[in-house]
Amino acid sequence: MKLTRSWIDDFVSVPTDDPVELLEAFERLGHEIEAWHPIEPAFRGVVVGKVLDVAPHPNADKVRVTQVDVGSETLEIICGAWNFEAGAVVPVAVPGAVLGEDFEITRREIRGVVSNGMICSEIELGLGDEADGIMVLNDDYPASADAIGENFAEFMGLPDIFYEINVTPNRPDCLSVYGLCRDLAALYQVPIRDQNISVDASGEPNDVEVTIEVPELCGRFAGRRVRGITVGASPHWIRWRLTQAGVRPISNVVDASNYAMIEYGYPTHAFDVDRLGTTISVRLATEGESIVTLDDQERTLTSRDLVVTDGSQPVAIGGVMGGASTEVHDGTTDVFIEAAYWDPATILVSSKRLDLRSEASKRFERGADPSFCPKGADRVAQLLTDIAGGVPAPDPVDVNPADVQPWTITYPLSETERILGVALDAETTTDLLGRLSFVVSGTDPLTVTVPTRRPDVQRPVDLVEEIARLHGFADIPDSVPSGPGGGLPYEERRLRRIREVMVGAGYFQTMTFSFIGDTDLDKLALPEGHVARSGIAVVNPLNDTEGVMRTTLLPGMLKAAASALGRGVGESRLFEIGKVFLSGGAKLPDQPDRLGLILAGRTTATWDVPSSEFTIYDATGTWEVLSTALNIPDASLRQASAPIFHPGRCAEVLIGDVVVGTLGEVHPSVARSFGLHGRVVAGEIDLAELLIDRGPWQYKSPSIFPPSIFDMAFIVNGAVPGASVVAASAVSNLIERSDIFDVFEDDSIGAGKKSIAIRFTLRATDRTLTDQEVAPIRKQIAEAVADSVGGELRGEL
Amino acid sequence: MTTNLPKPMEALKKLLADAPARINGAATIAELDVCENDLIGRTSPIAAARRTLGQINDDAERAATGKEINDVASQIHAMIDARRAVVETAEESDRLVKDAVDVTLPGRRPERGTHHVIQSTTDEIVDIFVGLGYTVATGPEAETEFYNFTALNIPRTHPSRAESDTLYLDYGDDEDQILLRTHTSPMQARYMEQHDPPAYVVVPGRVFRADAVDATHSPVFTQLEGLAVDENITLGDLKGTLAAFAKQFFGSDTQVKFIPHYFPFTEPSAEMHAYTNGRWIELLGCGMVHPAVFEHVGYDPGRYTGFAFGMGMERMAMVRHGITDLRTLLDADRRVLEQYQ
Repeated sequence: MKLTRSWIDDFVSVPTDDPVELLEAFERLGHEIEAWHPIEPAFRGVVVGKVLDVAPHPNADKVRVTQVDVGSETLEIICGAWNFEAGAVVPVAVPGAVLGEDFEITRREIRGVVSNGMICSEIELGLGDEADGIMVLNDDYPASADAIGENFAEFMGLPDIFYEINVTPNRPDCLSVYGLCRDLAALYQVPIRDQNISVDASGEPNDVEVTIEVPELCGRFAGRRVRGITVGASPHWIRWRLTQAGVRPISNVVDASNYAMIEYGYPTHAFDVDRLGTTISVRLATEGESIVTLDDQERTLTSRDLVVTDGSQPVAIGGVMGGASTEVHDGTTDVFIEAAYWDPATILVSSKRLDLRSEASKRFERGADPSFCPKGADRVAQLLTDIAGGVPAPDPVDVNPADVQPWTITYPLSETERILGVALDAETTTDLLGRLSFVVSGTDPLTVTVPTRRPDVQRPVDLVEEIARLHGFADIPDSVPSGPGGGLPYEERRLRRIREVMVGAGYFQTMTFSFIGDTDLDKLALPEGHVARSGIAVVNPLNDTEGVMRTTLLPGMLKAAASALGRGVGESRLFEIGKVFLSGGAKLPDQPDRLGLILAGRTTATWDVPSSEFTIYDATGTWEVLSTALNIPDASLRQASAPIFHPGRCAEVLIGDVVVGTLGEVHPSVARSFGLHGRVVAGEIDLAELLIDRGPWQYKSPSIFPPSIFDMAFIVNGAVPGASVVAASAVSNLIERSDIFDVFEDDSIGAGKKSIAIRFTLRATDRTLTDQEVAPIRKQIAEAVADSVGGELRGEL
Repeated sequence: MTTNLPKPMEALKKLLADAPARINGAATIAELDVCENDLIGRTSPIAAARRTLGQINDDAERAATGKEINDVASQIHAMIDARRAVVETAEESDRLVKDAVDVTLPGRRPERGTHHVIQSTTDEIVDIFVGLGYTVATGPEAETEFYNFTALNIPRTHPSRAESDTLYLDYGDDEDQILLRTHTSPMQARYMEQHDPPAYVVVPGRVFRADAVDATHSPVFTQLEGLAVDENITLGDLKGTLAAFAKQFFGSDTQVKFIPHYFPFTEPSAEMHAYTNGRWIELLGCGMVHPAVFEHVGYDPGRYTGFAFGMGMERMAMVRHGITDLRTLLDADRRVLEQYQ
């Protein structure tokens, strides 16, 4: 809602001139200021003058010589405009005046005659678009006759203040200057100045007949017949105010309707009666019925759209937009002003489906005041009398099947303290609500009668809100209650641990979008039927790259890494924790939490460590740290092949027997399709198993006795996993550690074979181990490795 | 007595007299070792003198002579030890000088990543409310229309339900459509359905809107919902709690103000603005839980009252860290991520 301070002053005397104070007053009322600025005159030194005489210029025929009374003196001024004669009251830039930034008016000679200033047009003064003639104030501003010699800016009410206010959707009554002023009057406890809305009833009687076939959707249809108008431009004051309010002036008839709507909030529509005829009927459209609207678009309607008809054909979409066939035009003389009350939900649906959101539909869909209909029409009629020579019919039209009446709410005073925390007595409460024109009776409970302009006020809590606004939020004392505690749930603490481990392991947390594109799934080269292939589609995606819910974190992360590396940053180490979306849930999709990681690019070379690529061991090492930090003793890895990954560098992550994720190097062709080159390491782990409560870790006392340490190397087939060799060697609980410290393949040990060397650390909790104890264990290890993985001990036992 | 002195003792006297010069002349540990061997080693005059002791028959004399030899030996020992300490210190100093490195070369730096600023902001705000006795809950991001709108008293015709505002998913064929939650508020209803009062909970999580990415919008962003429901919870509690939050998060001198606002699921509703970095900025929306919401979840609105609030983590992070373009938060460029300390 855009308005000016001077417009506010029409209705209420706000006891402050400080624009910021007024802004804060609006805020206290819940009307947030979106923008505000002073409206400064774009001129200095312009005064109101009266043309006393107009004479031809002796040496020029396109300009005339005028004598202009500017109060203190009479100036001879040359003027090129022809839209005025002697008697015109006009804005005069006297010598020394400045127009715009720096156009100074001086005495100057024009073809032998000195011009002592300039008579100004709207456009020269920054007061409008009219450039064809000078501003003639007589008709538009009758008061100007008594203002000769006055400062023209002051006369025009400048400087003024512009405010743009975000009116919340529950306050349709405040989509008007009057409505906002009513709130200000309530806050400042000053009277609101009601204008006398009345029509000159001297005209012919009404001849338009209205019937409503759908009273449940059109609860009231009021109107006023106005004859004898002359369509033309509106007076300057209307055009100026509409412009400030963000409405483009069109013609006096349209402007009158718009002006009344901004002023009082009620949308109206003017039909050309010569085109309409004298029958109006309101019904639902038939399916497929069409109408050409004011914007010259043909609209196809459904049986849920309301139409105003001339008895048969639609002439307007009710509450949304008028039709072209009955539109007011330059030659229009007779009009019918409609002010109807439309069902808000129907208007919302129609205007949205037709993509026709207008100032009118905005007000109807939020809820206009049905009680105001007749006044809404009459205000327009009154304006048409003033600015278009209209003669209203003496008898109004008012078909009012709904007959909406004010309703009452029973309000126990205890509600105020219960919700707000401050107790207000009956007198105070009655005063606060009374300021908003709620009629209050009784002491406790109060009986509150709500005016029909407030559809948002239906139950006691709605009154609590009104009381809070007027009492002032700031005057409610603060307190800080404490909850019963409970802290971070276990899962949240585990998630934090996971993030801390990843950060400590050198990964940067990233947050990619939850949707991906179809092509991203194609790039992953997933086989048909793979669970990650069938992503859930977004019905109304913003674009193709956001059309599918992610089934895996990897494409988004690969894109993020590629984008980062594309900027010449050498490496990208990312992790993300987030949900993927899978079909399968009964009502909602399955939305498991996943941990994803990506290592791409090359590490930066330093003076003592050369640059290197990342390998799968960076990922598996991360998992080893993570599973240790999460106290998951039965975590393991096994060789695997999976889509997306390098067939020989891919591991499944297991907890017990459950596969919880995959780690590895991304298949080079997949990496390339995302614009990544070289080895790219990736992993994705389902977090459900990681978040399980495993209880507190339990202390194990370390042995204080010296260890017995020895190395053993085994030759095994190349396909035998190192982990199997280690597992096979676990023959004694005296083995404290067994670390693979060397792996190599060489023809000297046989083709297709490899050597795995393990350092064993043995220790007893209660004694120093002797050679006699250790020797049999060495033998058992050798035998066990030979038995289970065919490992052949290198060297002597 | 002097004339009766055995010859070896004469040699020892001389040895002792010469020793300081010889010992102090040793510049290295190696030279000192040679010197030590010469003076008190197996081939030294002292060793030779000890070997002659056996030839002295008189016990007293032998003992006296032996003592004299030992005296000489221990004096030389002491001198060598003293010298050794000096030489060792000098040698170590030399060695350390040679061992010096350029300490300004880059250190061997363990890799450390960062939490995303949205994460650290969320964690910090969660912790503030945990400190006030709240717990934490999370909920589904793909949500039903019922929980996202209907249970929150948002009418069927409300514009926010439109496809121009809300992203819908093609999932299932229930009349209750599946959508991407537009706020974390559905968890108000879910949490209250699952827990008896009192309820003090914050809900961080991702939310979605049909907004194209620009400097101030993203289709995916992060909210934190708060809910406090109990007997006797008032608007004063709401104001006090959120003011306390703002002071803890933005600094103890942070001023706040509450501007009445409108949300379908709270009444009265407000926006909290905070004065920070020299200007008032809108921080969050809040209000007293609407009785219709309590009715949906089976709480008695005549007995319980509560407040709720929702705040954008992106906004909190941007205000606090001087980030002016929301797209920064979507950037995985290491040069951005490294700043998220």
